[in-house]
Amino acid sequence: MSANATCDFQAKDYKSDLKPIWCPGCGDYSVVQGIYRALAAIGRPPHEVAFISGIGCSSRIPGYTTAYGFNTVHGRALPIAQGIKLANPDLMVLAAGGDGDGFSIGGGHIAHLIRRNIDITYLVMDNQIYGLTKGQLSPTSQKGRTTCTSPYGSLENPVNPLLYVLAYGAGFVAQASPTDLAGMASIIEEAIRFPGFAFVNIQSPCVTYGEEAQQIKGLKAISESLSSLGHNPADRLAAMDLAQHYGEKLHLGVFYRNPEPAPTYDALIRERQAALSKDAPPKERILDLFIKK
Amino acid sequence: MTTRGIDFKALSLKDALDLAVLIEQEAKERYEEFAAQMDQHRTPDAARFFRYMALNEAKHGEALAARRAKLFGAAPSAVTRAMIFDIEAPDYDAARAFMSPRQAMTAALASEVKAHAFFVDALPALKDAEVKALFEELRDEEVEHQDLVKAELAKLPPDSGLSDEDFVDGPTAQ
Repeated sequence: MSANATCDFQAKDYKSDLKPIWCPGCGDYSVVQGIYRALAAIGRPPHEVAFISGIGCSSRIPGYTTAYGFNTVHGRALPIAQGIKLANPDLMVLAAGGDGDGFSIGGGHIAHLIRRNIDITYLVMDNQIYGLTKGQLSPTSQKGRTTCTSPYGSLENPVNPLLYVLAYGAGFVAQASPTDLAGMASIIEEAIRFPGFAFVNIQSPCVTYGEEAQQIKGLKAISESLSSLGHNPADRLAAMDLAQHYGEKLHLGVFYRNPEPAPTYDALIRERQAALSKDAPPKERILDLFIKK
Repeated sequence: MTTRGIDFKALSLKDALDLAVLIEQEAKERYEEFAAQMDQHRTPDAARFFRYMALNEAKHGEALAARRAKLFGAAPSAVTRAMIFDIEAPDYDAARAFMSPRQAMTAALASEVKAHAFFVDALPALKDAEVKALFEELRDEEVEHQDLVKAELAKLPPDSGLSDEDFVDGPTAQ
């Protein structure tokens, strides 16, 4: 995150007048509260925050904040967020979406944001189902899951979002859940403060199409905080080992935080621009570059 | 229902009062959220009840805040919202689409029971006599709140014993 001036903001300052239309009981209600709290803790004014999303229930989230928001097209939150960050690196850029948006149609984009290390925080509300379109199999649905598109049970293994981003070398990888709102807010805050691409997988139950085991009570039963396990977030291999339990256990906290964050792409671009502009001719002589001597 | 970083043994009266205010605020805000969700899903009776609960929680919170201000003025607070979660506030997943007033009241009653359990569980760890007395008072108030909800429940027509699930079509898949 760029070092901009911060002010004294409260969670309510990031809440827009638009009322969420998610199903009552949806996990996303607490996710948006966690985002308000994290933004208040950071204290950047709403007009310095850009919140970009794809398509899906969870992708409605930017509209419920007072930040600049762009509810884009399916799976394309990340490339648009990237463009915004590169065009105006002083903005604090958040991207959000569901597991289908992030790991199916938009799955190809994650790798490139990670390898470029764009300073964006990506929040995936993982509910293992396509909820907005009424309950189809999603990339994180468990094998055997019966849905309208898998009436005899899914034959596919789910994508493991945590291993996926760890394998590509993301500098910050964490998991949160509405089972612990305060913990979720603090993880989101930490992700935003991380200088580089940060990923938070949020297990956010779908009350309408989700399975019983994936509801709050089910999640509580399998949740375990990474700090209580004595996990060292600087240990990437240990993080990958723990991430393998995705779907069986709900490990909450920071899996991996690069202790020596690499320079971000936006910072490298600024450096290069500064270096090249030293020897560049003045603007009024720019056409001379195209004239053969 | 979780707390984080609260040392009940070392809790002062000022911090205990601040904690009680935060608990009421959290519950008030959750009920307001639930009321908005019910409004949004055209369930006015449940919305009305959740708004009534929000008002009650606000009143309790204001009374506690006034007491705190009288005793300790503007002395800075050592407890924050990040230290508590779902103490008296109904769980997020307690809300459901098209809740009947009975379901809304049952969810509220469960929250009051949960809050009572919080104070009961915390009491043995407390060392300060004044804090102990405050927690006992708050514990007893939770019983009064339960009675308040039970009184509202009693005003409803008798429960048919039938579940709404028996009459509502399941979500339609495309």
